[in-house]
Amino acid sequence: MKPLNEMREVVVGGIGITKWGFYENAEWYDFGSEAILNALKDAGMEWKDIQAAFCGSVYQGTGSGHQAIKEIGLTGIPIVNVENACSSCASAFRLAYQTVAAEIYDIVLAVGMEKMPRGPIPSTAFRPWELKLGFNVQPANYANIAVQYMEKTGATIEDFSMVTVKNRRHGALNPNARFQKQVTLEDVMNSRLVATPLRLLHCCPLADGAAAFILCSKNKLKSKHKVVTVAASTLTSGVYGEGYPPADITPSLNYPAAMSLTELSAKQAYETAGYGPENIDVVQAYDTMAPAELWDLEELGFCKPGEAPHLLREGIFDLNGRIPVNTDGGLMSRGHPLGATAGGQIYEIVLQLRGQAGPRQVKDAKVGLAHAMGAGPNSAVTILKC
Amino acid sequence: MNNGEKRIIPLTEGLYTLPALLDEKPHLIGSKCSNCNELYFPKKEKGLCIHCQQKTLEEVELSRQGKIASFTIVLQPPAGGFYHGPVPYAYGYVDLPEGVRVETQFTGNFNNLEIDGDVELVIEKLYENAEGDEFVTYKFKPLKEQK
Ligand SMILES: [Zn+2]
Repeated sequence: MKPLNEMREVVVGGIGITKWGFYENAEWYDFGSEAILNALKDAGMEWKDIQAAFCGSVYQGTGSGHQAIKEIGLTGIPIVNVENACSSCASAFRLAYQTVAAEIYDIVLAVGMEKMPRGPIPSTAFRPWELKLGFNVQPANYANIAVQYMEKTGATIEDFSMVTVKNRRHGALNPNARFQKQVTLEDVMNSRLVATPLRLLHCCPLADGAAAFILCSKNKLKSKHKVVTVAASTLTSGVYGEGYPPADITPSLNYPAAMSLTELSAKQAYETAGYGPENIDVVQAYDTMAPAELWDLEELGFCKPGEAPHLLREGIFDLNGRIPVNTDGGLMSRGHPLGATAGGQIYEIVLQLRGQAGPRQVKDAKVGLAHAMGAGPNSAVTILKC
Repeated sequence: MNNGEKRIIPLTEGLYTLPALLDEKPHLIGSKCSNCNELYFPKKEKGLCIHCQQKTLEEVELSRQGKIASFTIVLQPPAGGFYHGPVPYAYGYVDLPEGVRVETQFTGNFNNLEIDGDVELVIEKLYENAEGDEFVTYKFKPLKEQK
């Protein structure tokens, strides 16, 4: 196995996104093709320059990427669809990165897109007998992790609420977010209880949308933007012994995991990139539920176990803090189109490193990290540098 | 046809023993690996240990008592229309002393639920259908509420 950091350097040739929200009269192929065209324009490239396409989505069915690309034009290139739950776009990005690094292709498209199903969505992670017992309520799955985290660290429900308040504050500065309105601690604490102790505003909202990336070798770059390089892109799909209730995985008491899937994917990413958490200037963490951002930051190595609530209160994770986290508002503000979500995170890192994040720009951001998780389970870490 | 008599139907077969005698109590049925000693609930039908990948699993009866690892009171009905029990309901995990964590519903007074609290297995109604048939399941109940 050849380490990826010994292979060809891969750079971000172009990026594209749509405004995330609910769209009754558009489908995933509309968002997907719009994001692709935006990425092409950003890259200053022609459609015929693209040599392969990896397309992430979760609920769109057979050939979903083909449907999006058909809107632009079939050109004989291979189109591969990637369904990897909430890590789908990070997984598509990783495949694009690998094929350019391995010099199989020079210019490759990665796109993530989703029109979320309307109404309740039954999870495929749960067996029929578990569905009959009501185990498939995602906030309830997270609530079970949250109460153990509270017991272990002394974190409070106010701490969880402050994650929502912070991310919605950041999201107010993101014109592509579904929610661009700030909320107060009171708003969160007075929102409806969903699964004790978690309330509605501890859960990220859903959304429709897409994000697209053109990855290429450095000699194929056409745009005049600051050059952003892929320093690492890792994927860990579960480890034995670690519990992950949202994917219906119960931990082993006899053989607990030595390292969680998040820790393992982060370790591999830091090793490949040659950076540690102390070198990261901007972070997109996985805040599908507000408390998850806290243990996510701990497992990614940004602080010690149990320290995140304290650092959050100190403002360390604010836009102008020492470790700015979810600068675009996170899942809490962007909304969660499953197949596109990880792409939204990577898109924000590229903007930050290019210095194009406008009012939410982190000063002198040189290295950024995006972390997506999700059912499977999966943990995908992307590190970009400039 | 139930001739007007209401039936008691397990929500799912094979999760627990049904005692033949009145003074016997039900047990959850799990799997134990004779190679690595790993334990599973529910039992693994294929007999393959997902820790050591050997086909060395044997069916075992699990302890009736354990401690609450975590719990939540769910106030939102589950998606998909598969769940017919009451809402709110209590859902979480119980650690059994031999070393296996069990995903479960809890019954009894929700105020008596606490992390590390002692609980015992019960077989209880989850819901009744229009014909009056009772669908029953395993649940765990705080020990202080047991007779
Ligand atoms: Zn075994």
